[in-house]
Amino acid sequence: MFRLFRLPRIGRSPVVDARGARRYTEQAHAIAARDVHFSWEGVPMHYIPGEPMATHIINVMHLVLPEGERAMSKALAEALPLITDERLREEVVGFIGQESTHASSHEGAREHLATLGLDVEPIARKMDWLVDRVLGEHGLTGRARHAWLCERLGLFAAMEHYTAVVGEWLLEADHLERKGMHPTMLDLVRWHGAEEVEHRNVAFDAFMHVDGGYARRVRTSLLASFTLATLFLTTARYLYRTDPTPGARRWWVTELLSATRRGVIPKATIFLTEIPKYLRPSFHPSQLGPMDTALRYLARSPAVGTA
Amino acid sequence: MTVNAQPTKAMRLAAAAGGAYRRVFAASRIAPLLSRPQPVRRTGFDLDLSILDRREEAEDVVSLVLGDADGRPLPSWVPGAHVDLFLPSGRQRQYSLCGDPADRRAYRVAVRRIPGGEGGSAEVHGLRVGDSVRVRGPRNAFSLVEAGSYLFVAGGIGITPILPMVREADRRGRLWRLVYLGRSRASLPFLRELAHYDSAAVDVRTDDVTGRPDLAGILPLARPGAAVYLCGPPALTDGAWRMLRDLDPSASLHTERFSPLPVVGGGPFRIRLARSGITVDVAGDETALAAVRRALPGVAYSCRQGFCGTCKTRVLDGRVEHRDRTLTARERQDAMLLCVSRASGSLVLDL
Repeated sequence: MFRLFRLPRIGRSPVVDARGARRYTEQAHAIAARDVHFSWEGVPMHYIPGEPMATHIINVMHLVLPEGERAMSKALAEALPLITDERLREEVVGFIGQESTHASSHEGAREHLATLGLDVEPIARKMDWLVDRVLGEHGLTGRARHAWLCERLGLFAAMEHYTAVVGEWLLEADHLERKGMHPTMLDLVRWHGAEEVEHRNVAFDAFMHVDGGYARRVRTSLLASFTLATLFLTTARYLYRTDPTPGARRWWVTELLSATRRGVIPKATIFLTEIPKYLRPSFHPSQLGPMDTALRYLARSPAVGTA
Repeated sequence: MTVNAQPTKAMRLAAAAGGAYRRVFAASRIAPLLSRPQPVRRTGFDLDLSILDRREEAEDVVSLVLGDADGRPLPSWVPGAHVDLFLPSGRQRQYSLCGDPADRRAYRVAVRRIPGGEGGSAEVHGLRVGDSVRVRGPRNAFSLVEAGSYLFVAGGIGITPILPMVREADRRGRLWRLVYLGRSRASLPFLRELAHYDSAAVDVRTDDVTGRPDLAGILPLARPGAAVYLCGPPALTDGAWRMLRDLDPSASLHTERFSPLPVVGGGPFRIRLARSGITVDVAGDETALAAVRRALPGVAYSCRQGFCGTCKTRVLDGRVEHRDRTLTARERQDAMLLCVSRASGSLVLDL
């Protein structure tokens, strides 16, 4: 009788309910990379007219995400041999390819911005250095190496929560269209956002399959939130201050707050408010709302369609 | 105020903090105490089902109803889903579910026998009521999404994923229209089921009456902002996206995305993996990736169609026959995509 009310014991081996509670009860959504093409010709430096700060917040995606996405793909590829669930394996393989195409497409945008005179290369190389220093393996072996893989999977699962939340925001953000954001750039961020929504469960499920420890989930989510917030704010500040476009400019913080108020960028406070949601023990990314907007966008996106 | 690429003080601090974090939570003796694993494992992607019913639906088309022998409920699905069938010969084939998603006890598939095909369809036709089949899925790469109105276009056996979509759109009270194309009425399955719907919404066009179909005459039937679902042979679907875009950019075009095609025109060759010190032989009908994965199961890959770039590998020696769609001429000088590119002699890779 009391067995029913017993709390889950931490540290025990796999949670498989003999009564089948952990059986899949819903279809899988097939995850696969799309062969996308972007033509950057004619995209100006301030591709959201009159919104330099919002432009630079999106620039951070071109600068910071590619290296992070590569590191994530690497961690997930490393985790593949540990994943015994065929459904999750398929999803992880598809996820890695989607992340690869995100990284290379943002790099395409980055190279274009460099030709316009935006000082992007130093930041990209710094990201390279930092990702390698912070996330590399540094000769760990055996148990420590496995623990470090789990730690990275935890970090990426938490970061993917933010990309899914921001992805949803980008799909709904009509203001970007109304502000006259360049259609190619809008397509890039919306296609990316839509695929983030589409594969929102994969990194989380991979972490839960390989490790799933709650202490690790708490710790990595706090660290991921802090890291992403810091990267976005410091990089956007740098870009805003080094923007070569002439003219008087307001203090970057004023500009950031005003852009948030006008709804052209997501609120930076998500890096706090999302933490308790993500840490709810019963949380699963599939609870983040329907995927239909994302799938409809992917069926309309010029980058996907012209491939 | 250009900053050079040297790490700043803040970055060094971040790297040092990262190192300390790694020492505590991965390398230290207390690390296991700080992170007790509690993995979640799930089952039920592979199902052992029985054939509950088998019907002739049209010329060369048979439908099979699959279910759990003990009547246990099956995973739910939305229109557009498919399952893999593992056939007695070991072949694995994907078929769309064409039954009713509300029926949690049964999956229905319909298969046209392809004369001179690889034999998968003939094998499915050989299955009988009571036979057991291993099923993987369902999986969905063609989801029916919420939209104000729908235009469904099915060519022949392409009706299978569309049929449940029609049922669902009708149930939700959406405006919809189906254009169903084929050689002759005798070759088209499920005409009787479609007879339940408004005859103005079901538009059957056969070659023997109206001649070869033309998509340019069908897509304008979509209402503004419609979701267009298209399933049929490539000759029918090619160019559809651009056509629809020119008609109505607010409409969306949904097609099912397929798995990689088999290798064509390939010869055998040999690969030496320099870092691992292993040599693998690639057969003429397999990819370099498949051969390398036998020796190194952890090698990264994804799309297996030569565009995502995940399996890009450094080539140390040998001449590559590049078949990818993504590498630049400069990248091709010393790299290849394992999933599609090949060689005629031998290669040395940095793996």
